[in-house]
Amino acid sequence: MPPRDKYILEFRGITKEFPGVKALDNISMSFRYGEVHALCGENGAGKSTLMKILSGVYQPTAGELFYKSKKKVFKNPHQAQLDGISIIFQEFSLIRNFDVVDNVFLHREPSNKLGHVNRNEARRLTEGLLKELDIELDVNARVGDLTVVQQQIVEILKALSVDASILIMDEPSASLTDKEIRKLFDIIRMLKAKGVTVIYISHMLEEIFEICDRVTVIKDGQYIGTKDTSDIDKDGLIRMMVGRDIENYFPSLPGKQEKVILQAKHVSRGNKLKDINFELFEGEVLGIAGMAGSGRTTLAQCLLGIEEIDSGEIIINDEEQHITSISQAMDCGMGYLPADRKNLGILGPMTVKENMTLANLNAYLAWGFLKKHEEIKDAGSQVRLLNTKTPSIEHSICNLSGGNQQKVIISRWLLKKPDIYIFAEPTRGIDVGAKAEIYKIIRDVANEGNAVVLISSELPEIIGMSDRIMVMNEGAIAGFIDQHVSLATEEVILSMAVGHEYVL
Amino acid sequence: MKQIGINRIVKRSIEPDRLVWVILGAIIIFSTFASEFFISSRNLKNVFLVQPIGLGLASLGQAFVVISGGIDLSAGAAISFMSCLAAGVMKSYPSISPVLIVLLFILMGAGVGAVNGFIVVKLRVTPIMATLATMNILNGLTLFYTKRTIGGIPRAFRFLSDGRILGIPFPIIWFLAVLILCYLILNKNRLGKYIYSVGSDAEVSALSGINVPQIRFIAFVIGGVLVGLAAAFLTARLGGGGPRIGSFYEITVISAIVIGGVSLAGGIGSLLCALGGVLILTVFANIMDLTDLNPYTQVVFQGLLLIAAVGFYSRRRIVQ
Repeated sequence: MPPRDKYILEFRGITKEFPGVKALDNISMSFRYGEVHALCGENGAGKSTLMKILSGVYQPTAGELFYKSKKKVFKNPHQAQLDGISIIFQEFSLIRNFDVVDNVFLHREPSNKLGHVNRNEARRLTEGLLKELDIELDVNARVGDLTVVQQQIVEILKALSVDASILIMDEPSASLTDKEIRKLFDIIRMLKAKGVTVIYISHMLEEIFEICDRVTVIKDGQYIGTKDTSDIDKDGLIRMMVGRDIENYFPSLPGKQEKVILQAKHVSRGNKLKDINFELFEGEVLGIAGMAGSGRTTLAQCLLGIEEIDSGEIIINDEEQHITSISQAMDCGMGYLPADRKNLGILGPMTVKENMTLANLNAYLAWGFLKKHEEIKDAGSQVRLLNTKTPSIEHSICNLSGGNQQKVIISRWLLKKPDIYIFAEPTRGIDVGAKAEIYKIIRDVANEGNAVVLISSELPEIIGMSDRIMVMNEGAIAGFIDQHVSLATEEVILSMAVGHEYVL
Repeated sequence: MKQIGINRIVKRSIEPDRLVWVILGAIIIFSTFASEFFISSRNLKNVFLVQPIGLGLASLGQAFVVISGGIDLSAGAAISFMSCLAAGVMKSYPSISPVLIVLLFILMGAGVGAVNGFIVVKLRVTPIMATLATMNILNGLTLFYTKRTIGGIPRAFRFLSDGRILGIPFPIIWFLAVLILCYLILNKNRLGKYIYSVGSDAEVSALSGINVPQIRFIAFVIGGVLVGLAAAFLTARLGGGGPRIGSFYEITVISAIVIGGVSLAGGIGSLLCALGGVLILTVFANIMDLTDLNPYTQVVFQGLLLIAAVGFYSRRRIVQ
């Protein structure tokens, strides 16, 4: 056994059971002082549970935790925080009504014996931390008014203000742009130089290889292994995570279809969309690429009637449509998988079955009463079809992992059988294994003769999935790439997306 | 875009913290024209220095509870209950020190708040149901105890509502002292931060290590104490313990703080603005009295005012 003081943190045989589920099974692993340690695994593998045990949200059913060579049990997050363990949750733990200073020092306000808060001191300390990180931020701004990356900075400030020895980041990059991720990495390097141990949970393999020293894989609640990132490559890591090789990660392209199902003519909206013209064919996947703010989302929202167009025509099945609401869009045969799954996709407390049949409830109604057997039958067959992992169809959807939630939402539309599927960031925050399955579903949907619009920030996804790629830049179409003619590369798409001429 | 002066004034005046004062100012200006009696010193003293005290104290209490994410429907019933009980004590012991009686009110208020808090926190009953139940229980207990006003309040106790120090009405003095104390607790103290924090997002607060149940409980107790003080003032002013002295008080109080911009969803609102809401209601009621408006019409107008206020504030939140 290595000398214990080398490690800041050791798990020994950590087991956590929830009613009916063994979330963690005998996990033993350790973390060094001042390392950036990635924690990988498919969704539902148990990473978050393990981190919640470390940060005091949960207590283990069995096993021991050694922190700075002492055996510890953290009964609540506050205790862990006082000992220097800070966690930045996937869903931010900030009070939106409070300003930056109040959030950074929440529950640790500098105050006198009577509890009178010294706000000037808190502000001074916050500004000091910002200066140390070389970041500009209005400390009096309401957190709810900040951008996502600014909120993340507030989280980091919060963690740093306690002199954290261990900082846990759960999917910190999920909602950041490339530039913001660079900034985040700079901050992580700065923390590492100060001797802070950073535990980095991410699905983005590139990031793991760029910023992390070591990587540990967890699968189905069990410890698989730990490697130096210099000793393993991406394929090796995927093999560890999935436990098998993923072949045919992207399904192959079929023959091209020729019937136009949707056509946009000179569609404009304010300065967000400028003269958009395109055709969508039956049986194809049309990928829409572009930077954040390029108009991808606005375009989808205009097609769906969430936003209204100022001018132009949208023609579906040879008929011009003025769509002003989602329900009208559904009547025109459209189905929408929103990017913000948590807020716009799932109905948290409702069951898997109810989430599936919701969009198509009319089909299950007879004289206003629900035909329960058909509902159960269809939901059950969808679970089998998409290989959705859920204890039963009567289980609340909020207890499922992200990938499985997404499958349920896809089932919702498969049952509704629209002709046009609009998928926005369908695999955001979803693990590698489920990703491959969702890609296959999308391809199957297109192969059955439906049209798919795929909006994604992940270029490999766009390139791997699309028959044609439409690249947008500042509200206009920068160009099309027909992958049946020539395959796209990330370089070509990027140069179109930023408005540079690219010579083939 | 450049804004001309008048636009900016309009924009600033609809900011939530100011709006309440703008509306109050508008109603006052309207009132001075609507009735010549409005600006008589006797009426002004009544409207601004006497009437708002009881409502104001109870509203401060309700604000603590509502900002923490709860609601207290039992406030009115608690006032009647405490008023009768304390009057009974004073009747039996006419020579008792008024200070002790005030202390009794504070303890009873804290007790009722603690019971409400216990039901909400420990028995996990939602605040609206818990306080609806205690409202019924307190009303029943009060009417079981007495069905008519209990008189015979010692003169010394009435100093609380009618006394003067250096010509200044005593109730205003102690009300301001209570207000300052409340302000310090809610706005300058850690406890106040936690009350806002728990009301804004209980889950996030718990993750930050805040003892959420404890804060909820404390908010109910503070709210109860303030209701107790309101009961003390009203009892002194009436000169007796009234079994219906607090009837529908909770409704008026909740209306007042909502008009003052306190969000029933919790986490949003300020004590001063809540008091602005109280003044709007008292001035509004006063001018309707002075213009001899039918009392039933008055209630209708108050309802409309409430809808307008809530409608405005919910729009504001959507815009944000």
